[in-house]
Amino acid sequence: MSNVAGKAYGMNVITPLRWWTAVWQKIAFSVAEHFPVKLKGLITLSLIHYARWTIISRNSFPRLEKSQPKETLNYSYMLFESNFNGSWDQYIDSFSFAIPTGLDFFWAWNIKYPKSIPLHDFYHYIRFNQVECDHYYNAYPLASANDVKSARSLFHNLTQFNAETHDLSDEDFAVAWKKLLVSNQHALGSMGEGPAMSTSRELVLDHRCTNHKISQQRQQQEA
Amino acid sequence: MNRPLDLYDIQGNICKGYGRFGFPKARYFFLEFHDSGFAREFIGKLLPLITTAETWPAEGLAGKPRSTTNIAFTYEGLKALGLPQRSLDGFPQEFKMGMKPRAAILGDDGPSAPEHWDPVWQGDRVHAWVSVNGQAKEFVEQRFSEVESLINQSHGGVSIRPGHRGPDGNLLAWQDASAVYENGKPTPKEHFGYTDGIGNPYFEGCGNNPQRLAGRGKLTKEGKWAPLATGEFILGHVDEAKEYPLAPEPHLLARNGTYMVYRKLHENVQSFNDYIDNLARDFDGSRDMLMAKLSGRWPDNGAPLTLAANDAEKAELDARMGQLKAKADDGDACAAGQLQALQARWIDFTYEQDKDGARCPVGAHIRRANTRASLETTKEAFNSPSALDDRRRLLRRGLPYGGEHGAATDESEQGIIFMCLGASLERQFEFVQQQWMNYSNDFKLGNDRDALIGANNGQLTDKHIVQADPQGDKAPFFCTHLPRLVETRGGDYFFIPSITALDMMAQGIVDPT
Amino acid sequence: MSNRSGKAYALTTLCPIRNGHEGNMSFDKITRHRIQLLEEDSGSPFARIPNTYFARLFILNDVFFEQGNDVHHDHLKSKYLVFTSNFHGDLKPYLKGMWDNANDTVRSIWEHAVAFDKVRNSDDFIAYIRKCQLTTSLFFNGSTDDELRFQLKSLYIKQAFSEFVLAHQNKSTSELRTAFNEFMQQMQSDNLNDVSWIPGQTRLSHLY
Repeated sequence: MSNVAGKAYGMNVITPLRWWTAVWQKIAFSVAEHFPVKLKGLITLSLIHYARWTIISRNSFPRLEKSQPKETLNYSYMLFESNFNGSWDQYIDSFSFAIPTGLDFFWAWNIKYPKSIPLHDFYHYIRFNQVECDHYYNAYPLASANDVKSARSLFHNLTQFNAETHDLSDEDFAVAWKKLLVSNQHALGSMGEGPAMSTSRELVLDHRCTNHKISQQRQQQEA
Repeated sequence: MNRPLDLYDIQGNICKGYGRFGFPKARYFFLEFHDSGFAREFIGKLLPLITTAETWPAEGLAGKPRSTTNIAFTYEGLKALGLPQRSLDGFPQEFKMGMKPRAAILGDDGPSAPEHWDPVWQGDRVHAWVSVNGQAKEFVEQRFSEVESLINQSHGGVSIRPGHRGPDGNLLAWQDASAVYENGKPTPKEHFGYTDGIGNPYFEGCGNNPQRLAGRGKLTKEGKWAPLATGEFILGHVDEAKEYPLAPEPHLLARNGTYMVYRKLHENVQSFNDYIDNLARDFDGSRDMLMAKLSGRWPDNGAPLTLAANDAEKAELDARMGQLKAKADDGDACAAGQLQALQARWIDFTYEQDKDGARCPVGAHIRRANTRASLETTKEAFNSPSALDDRRRLLRRGLPYGGEHGAATDESEQGIIFMCLGASLERQFEFVQQQWMNYSNDFKLGNDRDALIGANNGQLTDKHIVQADPQGDKAPFFCTHLPRLVETRGGDYFFIPSITALDMMAQGIVDPT
Repeated sequence: MSNRSGKAYALTTLCPIRNGHEGNMSFDKITRHRIQLLEEDSGSPFARIPNTYFARLFILNDVFFEQGNDVHHDHLKSKYLVFTSNFHGDLKPYLKGMWDNANDTVRSIWEHAVAFDKVRNSDDFIAYIRKCQLTTSLFFNGSTDDELRFQLKSLYIKQAFSEFVLAHQNKSTSELRTAFNEFMQQMQSDNLNDVSWIPGQTRLSHLY
């Protein structure tokens, strides 16, 4: 089990809501979709690669065969799934500090949602309703969402620069080069492994190394 | 709104940086408890010597003691004193673990790794920290002897744990610290030559002059400075999340106490000077300006780069200061007012007009340590402009150490005794150290680290970017191959109890039942 | 209500697992164990599935009871294999890529899913997953919607170019130009298949 893949943390939170308020929650989401100002806080925080909210109506749990028992649920459920940069606490903290009203809007109709302030009730709510990933994959463990976005703009600026500067005099090239660097000075942070997410995570990584060593030893013995 | 603080119940070092109040000398020493009964008796006897947070006059030495004394405990120390298990269980995880097992979070690797720390930190035997600050060295010595004699009376229940590396590699029983002196006068300098310790947070009830609020508090939606919530810094009071910080039981144990980080940070002065000298040759500006671009403040007087971003502006600022000072000295009240207003801008500023870092680089030390609402890159995106900063503020304490013995090298003993206080070690100190000093995603600068205290290793990509003005014709400047300028030589996490809690601990009556 | 944001797709599926067991291991436990044994990062089967930005697998054993007198007590009658993914492009080609490139993994992980025994080929698989799919209510894209190969290539070039800049800060213009031309040739910016990061890469090799 691991909720961590490089610089990303994979969070799953599943929470009940009354079937009729699920409809209102859907409307709230559609408001957010059409009025991006609702998402300004999230965009400015810039910690998320991709996130989604999915309402599972109480009678829409997939049933593929008659032999599969039919779910009989009182509530509909909301599955929140996020791929964010940073550790669990950092993420929850930042969201609760920066956009408490935004969070309350997204969980407005969920049973026993405590509001994002005070923080510790919110902490408990999220932890209580979180399901751990059994496998979590990230195509770029070494990159944050900020890195992916700045890499994109740098790529375009660089290839454009390359195409446009071939015929310049040395003098003009030097000027253009300075401009290139200045206009991309915020995309030139060093790349590398992310900071340790937690001491628990470090411990799991240690165990993995140990397991690997033991299995190698066993293989050698057998050979 | 929190009610007024009971300053007589709070230890003095929580509300005051003694250095600023005319106490430039200090001795820190660490206790080991061998018998909980005698150790408790010792604490009871020490209690009358403990300095509280009572208000002192800002100027002059009248009404102040000649020396101060404060005490704090590690988790192991609280255990050794026989605190009930239920009380112990209520402390937060990082405090219980102590600083050494947090090395991966704190970037204490390579030369900073715990196995290289001073001998005093090896093992788990540091139980308490005692600090004595003094107006002069003799007063420190006097108070130290008083405490020492109490220790000697403890029937071996308490001892001073030795093992602080001293100037000649010899081991000392204590850590002396002192402001750096120039021309016989204490200065706010540290050994690299920077002016340090400017701009501590202002919180509700701290007892400081409200004139000191601007630049030290939090920024409201309306763009005004307001005091930070007391609970960010002192347990038992409401914090910025409108709740009481997590704290051990019973209330009386935690209330009016807080947590403290103690770190002995060695400064590689030779490496620093060589690095700056070398880099200054390629840099378009003076050596001082280059130093300022790393820290965010001019080394000589601590003026922030937001106020003077280059040599020309700095010369202008200095000239203006000089003129105003001369006029003020001649009794010109108007000039005196202007001078005061100008000096207030050492603290009262944001990066609102400097989003690109063309004045103060985005990765400069002070911009990392205190982001001053700069993370709200889109207006009104957050609940308030400084929403992401308000819960990451640190009360900085401490003094430089060493450096008295001739020319400083990397090997000679000098550095900073870094202490910082807050209601959550993890959310405040550890976050700032890990995410803002040793990482840069929040600044959109990838994995770049702080040039001065970051865990750099002299590689090409261990760098700091001095951003250029997007409208200008200059290129950004890259400080590459940053060496490890600061090394951790030891430290731990401490709990600073209130006077009430100390008294109850001494009596052995802390009871969460 | 959309599974898309530009060209980025958010796939959410709940695949019921058969109630039953093999020896002392119930089917959901067997499935979970197999998932937990998957290699991570560049060794993950998802690294072989084109255009996968992020993906995850977990078992949903039950729903949570929110505690209290005023709350109903719900329980699931099946356990669900939750498979979700963020990727570039359309669903069908993505799932075909999954079937073609991670076939063994798919068969092993989904072995005990209800009605999966009828899945024989990629068309069956696509149809199967679509039956298990839930519509995303709100999809937030805080990154880009480019092809994964492009994301990885641009990250590689970002890394390489910042290192190039650092290594050539004090060079004369003519030296810089020559080096830059060489650098750009080395980068092969038109070639998304090579001179790039590989999916799931966890270590950097520095250029200078």
